[in-house]
Amino acid sequence: MKQEIPTLLSVKNLSVAFRENHVIKHISFDIHKEEVLAIVGPNGAGKSVLLKTLLGIIEPTAGSIEWFPGIRIGYLPQRFHVDMYLPMTVGEFLDLKPRKILTNEAVLRLLKLEKSWLKKRLAHLSSGQLQRILLAWALLDDPQILLFDEPTENVDVAGQESIYTLLHHLQDTTGLSLILVSHDLQVVYKYANNVLCLNGKQVCYGEPKEALDHKTLSELFGDHTVFHHHHL
Amino acid sequence: MTIPFIVFVSGVVIAAASGLVGSLLTLRKMTLLSDALSHIALPGIALGILFHFTPIWGGIVFLFLGVFLIWAIEARTKLATESITGVLFVTALAIGALLIPEEELLETFFGNVQSISYPAAYIQMMVAILIIGVTLSFLKHLTLTSIAPDLATASKISKKSIEILLLVLIATTIAVGISFVGVLLMSSLLIVPAVTAKNLAKTFKGFIGISMGISAFSLFLGLCVASVYSINPGLATVLISSGIFFASLLVPTK
Repeated sequence: MKQEIPTLLSVKNLSVAFRENHVIKHISFDIHKEEVLAIVGPNGAGKSVLLKTLLGIIEPTAGSIEWFPGIRIGYLPQRFHVDMYLPMTVGEFLDLKPRKILTNEAVLRLLKLEKSWLKKRLAHLSSGQLQRILLAWALLDDPQILLFDEPTENVDVAGQESIYTLLHHLQDTTGLSLILVSHDLQVVYKYANNVLCLNGKQVCYGEPKEALDHKTLSELFGDHTVFHHHHL
Repeated sequence: MTIPFIVFVSGVVIAAASGLVGSLLTLRKMTLLSDALSHIALPGIALGILFHFTPIWGGIVFLFLGVFLIWAIEARTKLATESITGVLFVTALAIGALLIPEEELLETFFGNVQSISYPAAYIQMMVAILIIGVTLSFLKHLTLTSIAPDLATASKISKKSIEILLLVLIATTIAVGISFVGVLLMSSLLIVPAVTAKNLAKTFKGFIGISMGISAFSLFLGLCVASVYSINPGLATVLISSGIFFASLLVPTK
């Protein structure tokens, strides 16, 4: 079965080093159409670096990244700091996007947001609302795969829950593939087909229920695994 | 004093360009950078005075030399733009102040509208129109790189080239504005209107429009006041634009 589903991304032996220090080392994985891959790992494990390398923002030191030719990639960065006094509406912000495929209105419809959102001030949005607008930004060029770097701070639990519901809904309706960087194992079990555990090097890769065994978890998070189990 | 009509027109266009470029600087919180950068023109102006060519051309050459040096040092050391500009600014200020004859120093610092010749006023106006044109055509890229650098990079916008474009725009704006308001007061056209506009505007279009408007209006009124009361137009312009800023604080917050 799997051979018929196109591979969107194939990563082989990827390493990134800043000066002499390796941030990530020997990472290999594939993503197929409509798949959700979660990347988990402790703080400083190189998750955001991996995403930025996939996007071409950071140059890899070794290995290869092969995207499906002509693929459209969406990206939701971890943080988007808006100056409290920035005079800009949501509509004006979305208009800054180069090479748009969808209209602002179409994207808002996908996210089940009213058209009146276009007139809201960016600076007046809560962090959860801002994250939705970032998602709208990412969807403007009708991506086939979305890279989502989960924020580690500032977004309330309810807001985070709804963004995952939204992503799940998008995946159902548009067949979007996802790469999620997450530190919440609950999210991984609930939404991901595959999980990649990262701690500088690749600790595990596979289906969450098999890949995330006790040994892997303790290697990833040290002795705090008890807490994570409890969390589940 | 009588100020020729072409100087009025040229001044208003230059001020509008400053308001536009200044609004982008305010987004980046780079407002003091422009202030420091304007001093880098000083040694060039000094050479002009000493060797009897139009000082502003010397200023332009030094501004571009400065921008190039900032870029080259930044690429080599990874120091922040502001830090490098800080070093170059004091160096240029010291060299300039040493070379410029004392009686001309004040004029260089605060501007001298009467020294602007007809052709110079005309050329400066054309350059200002070019600044407005280039800025508006790259407005989306310039804005995005300022407010969300990560999104810009992910959209395959070269951050480095946009930053260099912005530096060149600032340098050119300073170059054409110096003869009106002087090296020290250049920020009155670049910073004050933009900060005021940021305080007043609700939309981005409004922000840019208000900034350009306040800048142009301040310089126009400054020239009017100067021609009636024979005071320095640069000083008059600063006081008018900062007067508008303080008045804007009285407008209820949005």
